[in-house]
Amino acid sequence: MSGGMSITARSENLDLSRQTEGFAIQVEGLRKNYGNLVAVDGISFQVKPHEIFGLLGPNGAGKTTTVEILEGLRDADNGRAFVAGIDVRKDPGKVKDVIGVQLQSSAFFDGLSLLELLDMFAALYHRRVDGMAILKKVDLTEKARSPVNKLSGGQKQRFSIATALVNEPQVLFLDEPTTGLDPQARRNLWDLAQSVRAEGRTILLTTHYMDEAQTLCDRVAIMDHGKILSLDSPDAMIQRLIDKGFQGQRIERTANLEDVFLDMTGHALRD
Amino acid sequence: MLTWSSLKAYFRNRGAIFFSLLVPLMIMTIFGLINFGNNTATVNIGVVDQANNQVSARIVSGLKQVKAVKLHTGILDGEKRQLQQGNRDLVAVIPASIGSGRIAITAYYNQGNPQNSQVALAIMNQFVDQASFAFAGVSPALTLNAKPVQSRNLTYVDFLVPGMIALSIMQTGLFGVVFTFVQWKQRGILRRLMATPMRVRDFFFSQLVTRLTTVALQIGVLIAVGILLFHFHYQGNLLYLLIVGIVGGGIFLAMGLAISGAAKSEETAAPLANLISLPLMFLSGVFFPRSSMPAWLQTITQYSPLTYVSDALRSISIDGASLWGVRTQLLGIVIWLAITVVIATRLFKWEVV
Repeated sequence: MSGGMSITARSENLDLSRQTEGFAIQVEGLRKNYGNLVAVDGISFQVKPHEIFGLLGPNGAGKTTTVEILEGLRDADNGRAFVAGIDVRKDPGKVKDVIGVQLQSSAFFDGLSLLELLDMFAALYHRRVDGMAILKKVDLTEKARSPVNKLSGGQKQRFSIATALVNEPQVLFLDEPTTGLDPQARRNLWDLAQSVRAEGRTILLTTHYMDEAQTLCDRVAIMDHGKILSLDSPDAMIQRLIDKGFQGQRIERTANLEDVFLDMTGHALRD
Repeated sequence: MLTWSSLKAYFRNRGAIFFSLLVPLMIMTIFGLINFGNNTATVNIGVVDQANNQVSARIVSGLKQVKAVKLHTGILDGEKRQLQQGNRDLVAVIPASIGSGRIAITAYYNQGNPQNSQVALAIMNQFVDQASFAFAGVSPALTLNAKPVQSRNLTYVDFLVPGMIALSIMQTGLFGVVFTFVQWKQRGILRRLMATPMRVRDFFFSQLVTRLTTVALQIGVLIAVGILLFHFHYQGNLLYLLIVGIVGGGIFLAMGLAISGAAKSEETAAPLANLISLPLMFLSGVFFPRSSMPAWLQTITQYSPLTYVSDALRSISIDGASLWGVRTQLLGIVIWLAITVVIATRLFKWEVV
């Protein structure tokens, strides 16, 4: 930094750049309106590297819009957003290069096989990938030559994540990844998410399933009406609720029905 | 790479092959067999007035009054060309030398089209006889010199095949694009691609190449089948055909993109595409010559994009015209291309917002 700046200004700038480098995602005062509807109402939060971060909220809360802005698919009206240190509003193209996106309703060209699709996606990032290696990671090697429309729901979601991994992204965005999946497939996907994180990536996911958020996420932000109501680890949030005097409706046992189900039918994937 | 993937995906889709190749072939076969285009209700007679005096004017106005005759006027070369293309059944030339000795009107007729030519000749003969009576007191008699034009036995198929090619190009552009793009938009395929560094223009380019490859294939297949099965008298330069086909195809691709941008789903897109396609299909000289339409309709349909493409393709394949020879049509095509591309860029949206 060259001279001629006041001391206060310099330390502010330093703080900011340190912060930007430190966080995988950083959002400040983000705002987005659709006409009169306020979808995102000046929210701010940070996601730490290697974190699995959950964005929860009822429909219409503003989670989808927030995520779309971070993915570079939509522009915000106001505020700042950084992904992997890159300003999304100024350089969406650069951001797209280092992120992976798994959309809920992901669909792909019907006429291409899984391997061909992976090659195509890789080419979009000017890369070549070992398609079979990626398919192995998501357990889809036997389906390498079939088209997407011949896959089951769980397989489609796994393939969706596979396409999001072709460019070895720093940040992975998952949009309701286990919606519509059976218990085995859900568990399997959770394991996949953990292994992706273990590779050194950061994950931001949206979900409606509280057990998913509780199991997977290190920290969670609860949104409604465009604002963040609470941001903390699931355990801390639960503890706060209990401390407030909340009494659960059921007695907690150490096992639940899902455990029974998996115990009886096994963890093996059925697709 | 994106282009290659797009090509593979397109041609593996059996529906696409059906619509772009089989349907035009079927239509061509049906219409070719029915031999739709011979219409003897009126005869088209072209008059070339080389004298331009009172006498010739009376002859022309007299011809105009014959009920079964549809009269066109023009210069010799133009009218002879129209005769060869089947737009005239007979061309009558009034010589400049009227007023001295016997007046001989030369009538060119198309040997390859005996039905209409005979009718036209008969009418002319009758007219000449009657006119001779009328002129008896004023000037020497009229005689009719019938001259067969070197013809190539053009049949309806020769008219139909270029029209069918033009039609297939239009259908590929409109429906091929509309159905796939609207579906992709709805299913989020485009959205998924937009989450990558892919640029819009690369995507458009890959799609363009895919569609235009289809067009080139259609041209090839239809001509081959026409020649092999229906005695299509093909004289043209394949390269010129491809150029016209591709540039013309661009017009309908752009229209297709405009529709898929404006429409939210297949239910709204399909009627729009049909709204454009059906009138053009029947009024642009694809199945029957526009010369059999009333004059006002002919004037309007002259400017239709399909007319330009179909006429250009016909001139190239039947008359062996060069690109310069069809420059009027090419100009029309290019103008339409510019218009439709501008509209498409304004209307096309990536997702159902």
